[in-house]
Amino acid sequence: MDDLFAPSDVSWTPVSPKLATVRRLNAALMFGVAGIGALVVLGLTVGWTYGVLALVVLGAGFVWSWVLIGRNQRSWKYAERDDELLVSHGIMFRELVVVPYGRMQFVDVTAGPLERAYGIATVELHTATPATDAKIPGLHPDEAGRLRDRLSALGQAQAWGL
Amino acid sequence: MTEPAPGQTAVVEQTGARLHPLTPFVKGWGYFVVAAFALVNNEGLRSNLELAGIGLAVVLVGGILLGALSWWFTKWQLTDDAIRVDSGFLFRRTRIIRFDRIQAIDVAQPIVARLFGMAELRMDVAGGGKSDGKLSYFRYDEAGKLRTILLVRAKGGRVAEQQEQQFESEPLLVVPTSRLLGATLLSSTVLGSAGALIWLIVATMVLDFHIGLFAALPLAFGVVQPIWKQVVGNHGFTLSETDHGLRTKRGLLDVQRQTVPPGRVQGLLITEPLIWRLLGWARVELDIAGVAGNKEDGDDEREGAQLLPVGDRGEVAGVLARILPGLDLARIQMHVAPERAKWLRPVGWRYLAYGADDQVFVTVRGWVSRRTSIVLNHKTQSVRLEQGPLQRRLGLANVHVDTPLGPTDAIALHRDQFEAAALVQAQADRAREARRTASAPAAVHTQPNPPSPDGSSSSAASPADDSSAR
Repeated sequence: MDDLFAPSDVSWTPVSPKLATVRRLNAALMFGVAGIGALVVLGLTVGWTYGVLALVVLGAGFVWSWVLIGRNQRSWKYAERDDELLVSHGIMFRELVVVPYGRMQFVDVTAGPLERAYGIATVELHTATPATDAKIPGLHPDEAGRLRDRLSALGQAQAWGL
Repeated sequence: MTEPAPGQTAVVEQTGARLHPLTPFVKGWGYFVVAAFALVNNEGLRSNLELAGIGLAVVLVGGILLGALSWWFTKWQLTDDAIRVDSGFLFRRTRIIRFDRIQAIDVAQPIVARLFGMAELRMDVAGGGKSDGKLSYFRYDEAGKLRTILLVRAKGGRVAEQQEQQFESEPLLVVPTSRLLGATLLSSTVLGSAGALIWLIVATMVLDFHIGLFAALPLAFGVVQPIWKQVVGNHGFTLSETDHGLRTKRGLLDVQRQTVPPGRVQGLLITEPLIWRLLGWARVELDIAGVAGNKEDGDDEREGAQLLPVGDRGEVAGVLARILPGLDLARIQMHVAPERAKWLRPVGWRYLAYGADDQVFVTVRGWVSRRTSIVLNHKTQSVRLEQGPLQRRLGLANVHVDTPLGPTDAIALHRDQFEAAALVQAQADRAREARRTASAPAAVHTQPNPPSPDGSSSSAASPADDSSAR
């Protein structure tokens, strides 16, 4: 069966697995801080048993998010058609965005410190409406640069006023 | 757009002109009133009238001085392809608005400005807030002339000899005040608030249920505010068509005149609240980039340009034919959502529908208040397919057709997922096709025929029954 959220008439490019690494690191930091906080607070106020229990629950949450992040990373993909950019992502909440290049208002390339350390970047295409959600995370910086230039060039060539 | 415009210099000189000299006073009267009010309320000052007088005078003179400075340093001029506004005396600011980026032009007359025969010009630019393209104040007829120039150039044309004529043109349609009042009283907000208010009063009187009194104020506000907004704000709503686009005029105290050049309409929203539907009434709003306010500025994000605050079926059809000639909503085949959508929308699923032809994409939804969103295919910004976990279990998906911020929200909710996926492709294709066929970049027709000197009066055929209905 053809995937509804990834039509097969175009070639889809997956995003870098490093995206999952970065997000897992982020999650580890969050869960780590929350876990230690919960352990200390609950341990000092209610009892250390509860503190350890909270830690175990948060640990399980982290394992679950580990799996989810991996699945989510594999779901991100994009494709360039002649006139449109297609972005597809999500496992639980799936989404496919089709944006004509000519509708582009501007392109953002962003990379946080952690993303930079792992050599990935995010490209986001903005149209005249904030509802358009054409964001591609986890791109190699070269690919991000290429995509940015290509999108700007195509956006200019096919530009269409409001 | 680089050709010189000989007719233009006759109206405004190129070197930069100042606004109306009374501007600081009209802008600043509010502060003066506030200051006077504060002084009156102050016990110590009330007993010492002399001091109060001096204080008031200081506020008055200071305010006028500051206003005069700001007025002195504000200059505007028309260049070949843009209007340029310089302002600010401590922090200089220059704003250049290209003519072809102007989405709509409003001439607004707040009550005080109106008393002095002055008007404010607002240029709506996509992505800009409400106050971004504001120029105040002009003499009223000057504002009208400038608007004509801007509109002609926004269409990409030269200033021709026709610019003097029809500042006020033949109205296509006037909404009677009685109907505005009736429609507002029958709207769900007012009815709901009034009902709750009556219940509260009864509960307080009969049951000694005193907590309710705190809720009375917002409820009373809920009754009065919509009436005020509709009846006073939309008083004498007049729609007319000129060479430069559709023009609306409304307001009892503050008069607003808005002009939408052709090809700037992104989408439409037709709202039919429950009781209105029984009477055959509906409201029509336009989605125009830049008209909806910025959330950060505290404006209403969903607000659009009103095309018809309340009208019957004939009038709605009439204005739709103006905006989208050749469109017949009844002819578009609507596809109703599959029955399994009832698990997500127990009652409303019957009313979820979408339809499309080569010109527009239409969605209908709403059980109590029916909302029909119409998006022009060649204005489609992006198409999205969405599916949540519950929807996946049922094999359903949503299709969003995005337009710039505004009232239109064309979402085909809870379609069969295969149908939805096909619809995304089809809509993307339709949008591409419509962009190609919609000839020149500047002029996409919202007017049925090219502007002719007598165009507005001769073609006012269909909604003309309104005048007899009054």
